[in-house]
Amino acid sequence: MSSIITSKIYLRCAQRVAWIAAFLCAAVFSSYGADAAVQVQLDTKKASPRAVESLTERGILRDYRFAWTSIAQAMEANTLDPLEGPFAGSAKQMLRDTVVSQQHSGLTRQYLNQSHRLEAVFYAPEGDVMELHDSAEYDLRISDGGKIIHDEHVVMHFVVLMTPGADRWVIRQLQATPQS
Amino acid sequence: MHRLLFICAALCLAVCSITAGAQDLRVPASVTAGDEATIPTTGSGKANFYLVGPGVSRKSDLTLGEEIHLQGQELRNAGDYLVLVCSDTCHSGTFFVTAAKPASLAFLVHPSRVPVGLGDAVSGVALPFDQFHNLVLSPATVNFQLTAGDKSQFSRPVRTQNGVAWFRTASGKSAGAVQVIASLEDLSSKRAVQQVASDPCNLRITGQRIPIGILVQTEPVHDCAGNVVPDGTIVTFSATEANGKSTVDAPIKQGVARAKIEASGETVVSVASGVVMGNELRIGAKP
Repeated sequence: MSSIITSKIYLRCAQRVAWIAAFLCAAVFSSYGADAAVQVQLDTKKASPRAVESLTERGILRDYRFAWTSIAQAMEANTLDPLEGPFAGSAKQMLRDTVVSQQHSGLTRQYLNQSHRLEAVFYAPEGDVMELHDSAEYDLRISDGGKIIHDEHVVMHFVVLMTPGADRWVIRQLQATPQS
Repeated sequence: MHRLLFICAALCLAVCSITAGAQDLRVPASVTAGDEATIPTTGSGKANFYLVGPGVSRKSDLTLGEEIHLQGQELRNAGDYLVLVCSDTCHSGTFFVTAAKPASLAFLVHPSRVPVGLGDAVSGVALPFDQFHNLVLSPATVNFQLTAGDKSQFSRPVRTQNGVAWFRTASGKSAGAVQVIASLEDLSSKRAVQQVASDPCNLRITGQRIPIGILVQTEPVHDCAGNVVPDGTIVTFSATEANGKSTVDAPIKQGVARAKIEASGETVVSVASGVVMGNELRIGAKP
């Protein structure tokens, strides 16, 4: 009799632990999913004077998505590591300055539910620089010491310069502009 | 005069300022990179002020009713800036910083070495940046010039579109260094392109028998525009005699390629460089 009661108690404990574990997993994965799911669409029809080859198109899509995932990680965790690789030149410097400034002020930014409609508008004759315009939408959440002080859905227009690196396309310029 | 200008600027800023939604926070409509700006606040008591933008994330204490002063150093990156003033609740406003006037020209030119007389062979892309390395998106005219010595080979003004101006042109007719210049107002950026002779033209050889075989050599090798083909260009001599064929590759030295061919019988020597064939030479058997 006592063994039946003991096993019921164990069963309830196991159920509770399973529920808590499931809840924690769901919370962790939903948070990760929000950051990881960066949607990028690329339109290269207007690119000139050089046409964008399909392989290049795939590279741009992959590297631009990765760049924004990296921005989100760097700004949320206030760490510089994600900025190594996808960025170069003044874009990298600007993002580094942002992270360092956040580290001093104790602020963090989250870029959630990102969606980017990217359009190539200029591709240099020799393929060494590409200008893209990004109509981006995301939820911007700003926290001060863990407390959310601002949360809004943002529609933003970016002018982007990308250049080919050794094994990827890197962002050299990332400049928000008023909607044109 | 300075006071008058200052008053005008202050009035412009006040006129241009906008109200952020229903919140009582007036931010400037736009600011030029590196300029200072002020944001008036209303009310009384203490609050937190936040400036969140590209390259900046500032938090400071604020006494409501006083002006917020934004320094030029904080507004050096072009882009969108969010201003937050939080006391019991947070009020926000956004504004854009636009690039200042061009201070440098990024200039990419291809290729660094090009054969003469080739269509659409030289291209260049110029991008104006301000002193803070922001891309200047407002239209401006960039003048592209190609000069060989003191002779202008190409000149064209091009208006920037989305911060980019570019050109493409044929290479010139004479071998030598060409200076490629992009200029915008008082800024200019220079690159050099080396124009080299194209493929050899009218390749001609002469030859004579010597004790160990045949000595053949080209006349000075030029391209079709008369430029001397650079040293090191390979010329191939082929000797055909009754018992077989032999080939010798020789580099051009001081405009001429030479080769010694071991052949004792009657021999026909031909010459080629790249896809260009020269004359044939018939040399009699060794006496």
